[in-house]
Amino acid sequence: MKTKNGRNVGFGQWLRTYEGQKLYVSILFLLIPLALLVLFTFVPAVNMVGYSFQERDQFGVDPKFVGFENYKTIFTNPDYFITFKNSLYYLAGSFVQQIVALLVASILCSKIRAKGFFKGVLFFPYLMNGVAVSIIFLRFFTKGNPPLTQEGTLNSVLALFGAEPVRWFDPANTFLVNCCLVFVSIWRYIGFDIIMYIGAIQSISPDLYEASNLDGANPFQQFRYIVFPSIKPIVSLQLILAVKGAISVFEIPYIITGGNYGSSTFVIKTIETAFKKKQVGLACAMAVVLLVIIIVVTLIQKYFFREGDDKPAKSTKKEAA
Amino acid sequence: MNKKRIISAMLACVVSMSAAAALSGCDSSSEGSSGKSAKKSEDGKAVLEVLTHRTDRVDDGSLDEMTKAFEEENNCDVQYVAYQDYTGTIATRMGTDDYGDVLMIPDDVELKDLGNFFEPLGTYDEMSATYRWADRKMDADKNVYGIAYGGNAVGVLYNKKVWSDAGITDLPKTPDEFLADLQLIADKTDAIPYYTQYADASWTITQWQSLVLSATGDPEYENKLLTDKLDLFAEDGGYYPVYKLMFDLFSTPSVIEEDHMTTEWESSKVWMGEGKIGTMMMGSWAIAQFREQAENPDDIGYMPVPITAADGKQYAETAPDYCVGVSKHADNKELAKKYVEWFTGESGFAEKEGMIPAKKDSALPDNLSEFENAEFFEKAATPEELVGKFNEIDTKSGVGVYNGDTDNFKIKLAEAAFAGKGEDEFKAIIAAENEKWAAARDEILG
Repeated sequence: MKTKNGRNVGFGQWLRTYEGQKLYVSILFLLIPLALLVLFTFVPAVNMVGYSFQERDQFGVDPKFVGFENYKTIFTNPDYFITFKNSLYYLAGSFVQQIVALLVASILCSKIRAKGFFKGVLFFPYLMNGVAVSIIFLRFFTKGNPPLTQEGTLNSVLALFGAEPVRWFDPANTFLVNCCLVFVSIWRYIGFDIIMYIGAIQSISPDLYEASNLDGANPFQQFRYIVFPSIKPIVSLQLILAVKGAISVFEIPYIITGGNYGSSTFVIKTIETAFKKKQVGLACAMAVVLLVIIIVVTLIQKYFFREGDDKPAKSTKKEAA
Repeated sequence: MNKKRIISAMLACVVSMSAAAALSGCDSSSEGSSGKSAKKSEDGKAVLEVLTHRTDRVDDGSLDEMTKAFEEENNCDVQYVAYQDYTGTIATRMGTDDYGDVLMIPDDVELKDLGNFFEPLGTYDEMSATYRWADRKMDADKNVYGIAYGGNAVGVLYNKKVWSDAGITDLPKTPDEFLADLQLIADKTDAIPYYTQYADASWTITQWQSLVLSATGDPEYENKLLTDKLDLFAEDGGYYPVYKLMFDLFSTPSVIEEDHMTTEWESSKVWMGEGKIGTMMMGSWAIAQFREQAENPDDIGYMPVPITAADGKQYAETAPDYCVGVSKHADNKELAKKYVEWFTGESGFAEKEGMIPAKKDSALPDNLSEFENAEFFEKAATPEELVGKFNEIDTKSGVGVYNGDTDNFKIKLAEAAFAGKGEDEFKAIIAAENEKWAAARDEILG
């Protein structure tokens, strides 16, 4: 063993040196969290992959190996496959969300009063608990059951303008049901996007605006040629995150409709498969599919982030050369 | 210096670990004081720990009140411990030896394992003479390990006043009469004739499944489905009439509420009491809860299933709630057995809850007074070679007769009905289920 100074010492002595202590204290401190992590995250995850090739119930009594049968079910059985279709609603919704967020962010970056107030108001839904948001919107979309219950908020407001109450959660119209749920999702998450965009826009040097002003650019041209190119990495990052979000939607539909009326999502279906239908093997396969999608998306996201970091580094190198 | 550091690092480890140990240690010792170590209370009486799922009756003190007579008679102290999530909690406790002296037997324990956890209370031949449902917690050697504390009959919950206001004098005997009566309520009163409570569909819709056996009037029907390889939705069976009734009912917007997604369970109890709701499909367990919320408890009635079996009679299946058993590790087994006998018999708990008492010679609760024309029966025991097969097929096929998940046929039927898709959709859905069921059955039974 060698110490920093290059002196040769025995292992026992080395342990007493600064490096030695650093090592074993780190190991001791890491031992418990790592043990917990392995025990409660990695072991179950590895088991889950194993289970996904089996047909098994919740007690795991004589499981049967079925190969890729479970995966085949997920991608061929319409009961399961439809959840991917529902994810498309959320994906489409997130495009709308990005556009609106970008618009609002641009407005909030211009010279208006009470910017901070608006930022706070718009960001607030993101801080609220998803369950609370869902319950608020359950009331919001209520079509009353006279004489038992009153019309919900939205229908009451519509009634002020003389409109007939609308049945928002109409079993005959799953498109409308999903659109309502997507609206809730947009409402909840848009604050986060707005803040991200504001941050990106504010990092643009004011000199550029000034220069473009002198050149006589109008606000639209400024956005098209200055703002948008500068925040492009953030936009692509947000779009990737949207894919992740769209596939893992859970609490909003689970609380508002319980996944009924054709609004079930992939995660809701996974939970039902495991704990209501007790087909644990199939549910594990679904979880693995979700895991793979998330990993792929995360890798793409990491790739984009790296691009953003590397570019300035490269350019400085060139300058130095 | 170095030594000091090592020692202090070690010390930190030891302290944090022992703190954890001490915390859990504290926990178990306090648990123990209520369970093991203090089996005698301060005044030297024997202590009996009873684990139950009835948090409501423990919290309002009525169980303690009721038990005083037993405590005096036997000079003991009965301590109730109630769990909100009973099956979940009890499964954990049963991993140890300390799970009370008397407890409700969770259904997760397989019949063949009963002897590992519970004391036999008697043989089937002895017990079945006195008790209903004696075969429910019985092992292959016919030892009975638990007696139900009460049972339920299958029927339909309704508001008598609403029904009589609509001019209905005779209770419906067939699905057509039932639907016609509901239409009458819609025409003549302001009440909503039938309330689906669809917001909680995952359990409310499963209430329909409990009607199936009563619709056939055949205690052996579930076994026959397996032995005779009947179609699950055979038209002369139990499933078809029940779910056809549900489909037709849900397809008629005039007799159900308008917005199903925002129905409210707790409020529905009040509304039915106020006569704003006419009818709901609920087990008889719900009667007591609805009466508690009603202005006039006598308005809440319970009628037999409005489906007449092939032989022209109406039937009502009775089924037990939890069975009460004695822990194999109980300290005072004789006292515990005495308590089980007392609790399921003379305590009168079942009567008070409006349930059917387990003792055969006891009177039916008066909420079943409208069942005079209906014949009660109990589901027959499953022959040994078929034990567990029904559930196995059910899980394997994904039909899920007792489930209410979003792919379940009940949800599909209900939503097709709500959307007004009509008869063809009904046929398509049940045909698909028949096929799934038959495939899984043939694979498992060969």
